[in-house]
This record gives sequence, C-alpha cells and structure tokens, in this order.
Amino acid sequence: MSRFEDVIDAQGLAPDEEARLRRVHDLLEQAGPPPDLPPALEHPPSAPVEDEAEIVQFPLLPRRRWPIFAVAAAAAAVLVFGGGYLTGNGKRKAPSFETTRVVPMRGHGALAFLRVAPPDSAGNTPMQLEVNNLPTQPRKTDYYELWLTRDGKAIAPCGSFRVNERTTTVRLSVPYDFRRFEGWVVTTQTATHHTPGPVILST
Amino acid sequence: MRLVTSDGELIQRAATGDRSAFEDLYHRYARPVFGLALRRLGDRGRAEDAVQETFASIWRSAGSYKPDRGPGAPWLYAVARNAIVDRARARNEIPSEIPDEPTPDSGPGDRAEQSWVAWRVHRALEELPEREREVLALAYWSGLSQSEVSEFLGIPLGTVKTRTRAALAKLSEILGDDIE
Repeated sequence: MSRFEDVIDAQGLAPDEEARLRRVHDLLEQAGPPPDLPPALEHPPSAPVEDEAEIVQFPLLPRRRWPIFAVAAAAAAVLVFGGGYLTGNGKRKAPSFETTRVVPMRGHGALAFLRVAPPDSAGNTPMQLEVNNLPTQPRKTDYYELWLTRDGKAIAPCGSFRVNERTTTVRLSVPYDFRRFEGWVVTTQTATHHTPGPVILST
Repeated sequence: MRLVTSDGELIQRAATGDRSAFEDLYHRYARPVFGLALRRLGDRGRAEDAVQETFASIWRSAGSYKPDRGPGAPWLYAVARNAIVDRARARNEIPSEIPDEPTPDSGPGDRAEQSWVAWRVHRALEELPEREREVLALAYWSGLSQSEVSEFLGIPLGTVKTRTRAALAKLSEILGDDIE
C-alpha cells in the first residue's frame, strides 16, 4: 500500500486540492489494479453471426420483432468487437496477460516485474517476467534462470531466458504450489553449471 | 474543462444505432465490466462471456436509458450486473460471490460498495493517457518508489512526479462527485 506522501509531492497544493487528490489516492488503493483484458476481448471474436444471434435475447422487445433486432445486434457486436475497439486503441498497448499479482524484483541496477496468472485446471501457473536493464550475457551459452526460494536458497527452477534488449519479456509456466516458497530470484547461469548461479535479481 | 462525451450521451447515441458511440462505451467499460464479472463469477472464461453479453445487452437496450433518472455509469453497472447474474443462472449455478480483496470478511453491502468503487475507478483510468496510467500502475500496484518508477521507465524523477500528480488531478475531475 502506498502512502500519499510517497506518491505525490503536495508542496504548493491548496488544501482543498490536496484533499481531493488524497481522496483519489484512497480510491485507487481501494479499487486495486484493473484486470488485463484477455485476448478474446481485444481481438475480433471468431464466433459467426449466426452463433451470436442465438445468444441474443430480447426481453425488452415484443417477441415478433426480436429476430430482426437479434441479427442487427449480432452484426453490430461483431463489427464493434472487431476492428472498432482496436482501431480506437491502436497506439501503444502492452500485450495482455491475465494477472492475479505482480511481484517486483530488483538488484544490480536492474528491475523486473513478475506477473503471476491464475493456475490452470492442470495446476500449471503461467507467469510473465518483464526485465529491465539486465545486462546482456557475456557468452552465447550464458543465460538467466528464475527460481523460487526457500530459506533464502534457490530451490525450484521456474525457467531460463536470455536478454538482448533493454527490456525483455518472457512467459513461463510452473507447476509449483507457491505457498511452499518465500520468494523468487534470478541467477546468472553458464552452460556448464546448472545449479543456481549468482543472484542478480531478488524479490 | 473536460470535453469528453458523457456516458449518458454515448448511451443515447448508441440507442439510435450510432456504432462509434457504442465503440467508445466499449473502450471505456470493457475492463470495468470484465473486472466485475471476474469478481462475481470467479472464472475468466465465464467472465469473458459475461462481457460479450453485457455489451450485446447495452446495444439492444440502450433505448431504455432515461437521462433524467441519472447518469450513465449506474445504468451500465446495472446492465452489467444483470448480464453477469444471467450468465451464472444460465448454467444453473449460483453466482460465486468472490470476496473483494483485501477485506474477505466484508458483508454483501461492503462488497457491493467495493465493486462500485472499483467499477468507477477502473472506468476513470480508461480516460487517462497511457503514459499516466502506466505511472499510476507502477506506483500503486507494483510497490515501486517514485525513484524506481523513474528508473524503470527511463524518465526523469521530476517527470514521474508531474505525471502522477496530473493523473490524480484528472482522475479527480473524471470521478467528480464520487470523491466528495
């Protein structure tokens, strides 16, 4: 939870303006993060018009008119859910990833966000790791590894990756029950050592 | 002064078949509707379906909106809630009342209040420029300090502070009476 003073420099603000910003601050804390829209809601649906028409019902309209409006509504929905929404938001949009929590990681001048999604029915938990300012690997065979930790030690491997840009995003999936662990670390690895290497990022 | 078209105006235009107005409504409310559905249904697939049904419902019943009875947001909220409940009933399931974090023991009244707050705030966030929304997300929901946000985004600390303050001021304006 953020303190208002940590987020806003209130110097020079009139008392009533500061009070309004504090209220907004509280509402943001109360609301929590908005969900990422799933791809199905960002891209045109693949459902044909006929299928849409079957879903649509018109309790507010006389029954004899509903088929006409059903087709019209379905056609409009396809158009709207199609290009319209994306066209209006086509500037800079991060790829969607369903997120239940975001875990920041830091170290050695680098930052990372680990986004954790809900586990699937098989018990796999998708994760998306966004790393920023992590140095590129000195050798082609070097790489980074994400681990879950217990008692301060890297215990369970969560996936390997390399970076070649200032910001790199990778998607991973693990079958672990996170309650058995206490945090995450990213280590540097070489081709010849697959046990946990030096920690470069940690939660 | 905000020149953004009000929700009520957009609903009225949608009622006349104005597709661009409907698209604007979708842009503003897809995420809040999805968030509400996710809380109520507890399942992302069903929540996606509920969003689709909500907007189909908005399109076909926009004409029932009466501006003299109140602003558009509560009407949209009611349509979304109905679509979500219908979604649950369609499968002969009781809507799963997933407690809203971080007060899992709150009662139905509190949960409704929290859902409404989240609805309004998430909808207001949709009106912010991406760069301001990004700064707020990092500051509020990623646990980063202002300096770390600056470092992460690669922009000066002063710019982070300016954007944060501007973003809160805009949200204050958008939320209007809700923050009184």
